Amino acid sequence: MDRRAAIATAVTIALLGLGIVAFGRSPLAGAITALPLIAAVWLWAIWGGLSPYARRRATNVVVLTLSFGATGLGVLVLALILGDLIWNGLSALNLDFFAQSTPASGSVGGGMLNAIYGSAVMTGVATLVGSPVGILAGTFLAEYGRGNPIAPVIRFINDILLSAPSIIVGLFIYQVMVLRMGHFSAWAGSAALAILVVPVVVRTTEDMLNLVPNSLREAAVALGTPKWKVIVSVTYRAAMQGMLTGVMLAVARIAGETAPLLFTAVNNQFWSTDMNSWMANLPVVIFQFALSPDANWQRLAWGGALLVTVTILALNIAARLLASWRSFSR
Amino acid sequence: MAEIALNRSAEAPRSSGFDKVFQATTWFFAILILVILAAIIVSLVLSAIPAIRRFGPGFLTSAAWNPVKADFGALPAIYGTLITSFIAMLVGVPVAFGIALFITELCPRWLRRPIGTLIELLAGIPSIIYGIWGLFVFAPFFQSTVEPWMIDTLGNVPLVGVLFEGPPLGIGAFTAGLILAIMVLPFIASVMRDVFETVPAVLKESAYGIGATTWEVMWNIVLPTTRVGVIGGIMLGLGRALGETMAVTFVIGNAHQIHASVLQPGTTISATLANEFAEAVDGTYRSSLFLLGLILFVITFIVLAIAKTLLFRMQQRAGT
Amino acid sequence: MTALDVAQTSEQPTRAPAATLTPKMAERAPAAKPALPPKVQIRDLKFYYKDFLAINGVTLELQDKAVTAFIGPSGCGKSTLLRVLNRIYELYPHQRATGEVLVDGRNILDPGLDLNLLRARIGMVFQKPTPFPMSIYDNVAFGIRLYESLSTAPMDERVESALRRAALWDEVKDKLRQSGLSLSGGQQQRLCIARAIAVKPEVLLLDEPASALDPISTQRIEELIAELKSDYCIAIVTHNMQQAARSSDFTAFLYLGELIEFDETEAIFTHPKKRQTEDYITGRFG
Repeated sequence: MDRRAAIATAVTIALLGLGIVAFGRSPLAGAITALPLIAAVWLWAIWGGLSPYARRRATNVVVLTLSFGATGLGVLVLALILGDLIWNGLSALNLDFFAQSTPASGSVGGGMLNAIYGSAVMTGVATLVGSPVGILAGTFLAEYGRGNPIAPVIRFINDILLSAPSIIVGLFIYQVMVLRMGHFSAWAGSAALAILVVPVVVRTTEDMLNLVPNSLREAAVALGTPKWKVIVSVTYRAAMQGMLTGVMLAVARIAGETAPLLFTAVNNQFWSTDMNSWMANLPVVIFQFALSPDANWQRLAWGGALLVTVTILALNIAARLLASWRSFSR
Repeated sequence: MAEIALNRSAEAPRSSGFDKVFQATTWFFAILILVILAAIIVSLVLSAIPAIRRFGPGFLTSAAWNPVKADFGALPAIYGTLITSFIAMLVGVPVAFGIALFITELCPRWLRRPIGTLIELLAGIPSIIYGIWGLFVFAPFFQSTVEPWMIDTLGNVPLVGVLFEGPPLGIGAFTAGLILAIMVLPFIASVMRDVFETVPAVLKESAYGIGATTWEVMWNIVLPTTRVGVIGGIMLGLGRALGETMAVTFVIGNAHQIHASVLQPGTTISATLANEFAEAVDGTYRSSLFLLGLILFVITFIVLAIAKTLLFRMQQRAGT
Repeated sequence: MTALDVAQTSEQPTRAPAATLTPKMAERAPAAKPALPPKVQIRDLKFYYKDFLAINGVTLELQDKAVTAFIGPSGCGKSTLLRVLNRIYELYPHQRATGEVLVDGRNILDPGLDLNLLRARIGMVFQKPTPFPMSIYDNVAFGIRLYESLSTAPMDERVESALRRAALWDEVKDKLRQSGLSLSGGQQQRLCIARAIAVKPEVLLLDEPASALDPISTQRIEELIAELKSDYCIAIVTHNMQQAARSSDFTAFLYLGELIEFDETEAIFTHPKKRQTEDYITGRFG
C-alpha cells in the first residue's frame, strides 16, 4: 500500500504541474482536466491495497449508491418539473382562465376556454372512434387469433404504430384529410388522435382478454352459448376493469399530444365549436404562447401546461387505481 | 322437454349466424391496423416523390437548406436526430438501469409501488411540458452554470474539447439530448424492470446463497439472462427518442447546421417538420419535408422492428 | 325412435359388459331400471391430441336416471372421455374423436350437428367453480335466456326451482342480485350446478366437481348428486374412489386410455374382475 501511495502522490504532482503549465491560458482548466487522471491513479492505489473480498464489497457499495442516486435523480426531476409547473402556472389558473378565450397578442388577461373545449372535444371524439376499433381488433387477436398466422403480424405492426412518431401521423392525416377537404379541421385533428388511441387500446384489450381464464369460457360454452355471446356477455364482463383502464391510459396519452394537431386542427384564436374548421387546443396553444415574447401569453402557457399535466397525471393515477381495485370482495 | 326443443331450434340458428358476423367484424378491425400502416407509408412515399426525383440520393448527404432556392438536404436534420438520440441513450440508459436495479433489488417492498408509480408518472408527462420546462428552466440553468464550466474546462482539453466549443447558449444539441434522456429513461426503466422480474427467483436465490453480492447477481445472473430483453427495451427507448418532437423543438435551436460541438444549436427531423411545415407552401419545400418524414419513419420502423423481435425472443425464452 | 331402440337392445348381448349387466340389474333393483335402453352409448371411441392417442377404443353405456363414475389414475383419459360427450374439445385445435357416441340413438359426433344445441341438452360442471361475473340470478338465468324468452314471473320461478334443486336457494334467496363471486367455494359450485340444470338438460357431466372444495361442501355436493340422479343421466369423473363407491351406480375404470373394466359399482368395488382394477382400488398404484 505504501509503495502504491508513493507512486500515486508522485504522479499527482507531476500531472498537476504538467496541467498548469500546459494549459497556459487557463491554469484552472488544466488542474480540473488533470483531476480525473489523478482520481484514477488514487483509485488504483487504494484498490490495490484491498483484499479481493473487500473489493467485491466496495464495487457493490458503489453500484448500489449509484443506483440509489439514479432513482433519487428521477424522483428529483419529477419534483422539479411539477414544482416549476405549479410555481409558474398556478397563478394563471384563475376564473378568467376557464371562462375566457385566448387573448390577442399584446393584450392583458384572457383565458384558455376555447383551447380547453377544443382539447376536450377532439380527445372525446378520438376516444369514441378509436376505442371500439381497438377493442374489436384486440378481441380478434385474443379470441380468434390462435393459430391464425396473421395474428402475430398484426400484433407486431400494432406495437410499431404504438411507438411511431406522432408527427408522422399528423402528416398522414394532413395528406389524407386536410388536403382532400381543402381546409384544416377539428375532424382531422380527432382522426389523427384516434390513430394514436387504437394501438394502445388493442394492446391492453388483448392482454386483459388473455387474462380471463379459459375455464370461464368453457363454462359458458358448456351451456350452449354461441361464441359471440361468450365473448360479449362473459369474457368482456370479466375483463371490463382492465379494458376500461386501457381506454383511460389511451386518453392520458393523447391528451398531451401536440405534433399530430399541428397540421390538422392547428389552432384558433377565437371561440369556435365548428368541427369543420380550425380548432384551438391546449397543446398547440401552449406551443405558440410559450415560444412568443409576449409575457401575458407566456403566463397563460404555464397555466395551460399545469392544467394539462395535472389532468394527465390524474388520469394515470385513476387508471392505476381502477386496475388494482378488487370490485368483488370475498 | 318438447316445447323447449321447439323453442331452441327456432332461436339457435340465428345465433350461430351472428357468430360469423361478429368474427368477421373483429377480423375487419384487426386488418384495419395493417391498412393504416400501409396507408401511412404509401401516403408519405407519394408526397415525397417530387423531392426524391429532384434531389435523388444526394438528399441524404446534402447540408443545404435554402427555401428560396428550393435546395434542400437532409444531412443536418438526420445528424441532429442521431446525435440527440445518442446523447439521450448515453445518459438515459445507465440511469434507467440504476432505477430498474433499485426497484427490483434494493427497494424495500412497501416502497416499490410508490416509486414505480412515480417513475411511470414521469413517463406520462407529455413532451410539450418537457419542452417548455426545458426552455424556461433547464436551458437557462444550463446556460448560466453548467455550460460555462464545460466550455472552460472540457472545451480546452485536446481532442475532446472540440465537442464543447462555442458560446454558452443554453439551448443546443446537448441540452436537447439531456431532455430526451429524461423523457425516455422512465420508459426504458420500466421495460428493464419487467424484464428483470422474469428472472426466476430461485435462480437469484442460488446465487445469493453462494454469497454473491447484489451487484454480482445482477451482473452475472440477471443481465446475461435478460440481455436480449434489455437490448430490446433500449431499442424501444431509442425508437421513442428518434421520433420525439416537442421536447426537442423547444431546445434544439432550430438551425440547419452541423457542428462538431454539441453545445451548438442544430435541428432534428421532427423539429424541422414542426417548425417549418406551416410555412412550406412551395411544392418542393413541402415535398422535401415529407421526404424527411419518410426518412424518419423508416429509421424508427427499423429500430422498433429490431426491438420487437428481440423482446419477442426474450418472451419465448422466458416461456411467457 | 322406438325402432332404433329395439335395434340397439338387440345388439347389446354381443358386448360382454352389457351382457353381464342386464341379468344383475334385474336381480337387484327394485326400481324400474332394467327395461330402459341406455341414454348414452359410446362405441369404439378413440380420441387424439394431435397424433397422441389418448383414448383407445372405449365402448360403454350410460343409463338414464343413474350415476356412472369414471375412475382411474391421473392421465388415464377419464376427463378426456367426459369432455367428448359434449364435444367441448372442439374449442381447441388438434383434438379430434372417432367412433360413435349415441345419445337417444343419435350420433353426437356427427360433424353436421349443432354444437350449441347439443350443449344445451348435455350440461357440464367443472372442477373449479366458475361463476360468471354477474349476479346470482343472472348466472342461473343466463342459460335459460339463450334459448327461451320468458317474462319476469316464469323466469323467477325457473331460477328459484333450479336453485332449490341445487340446494342453494335458502342461502341465497335474499341476495339474488349480489355477484356470484361473493359466494364461498362450495356455494359457487352449487351455483354452477344450478346454472347447468336450469336449462333442463338430459345428461349432466360432472368433472371432479368436489375436488376443489372442503370436505363439508364435498358432502353436500354428493348428497345433491344422489338427489339429482332421479331426473338426469349423470356421468361423474372422480379421483376419489370412496366418492365413486358411495355416489355411483355404475363405474368405469380407465387406465392409459383403455377401458379396463365397466360394471355396477358394487361389483367393481367388491369383486372386480381384472387384476388392474383390483390393484387400483386397493391403492397399489395411482
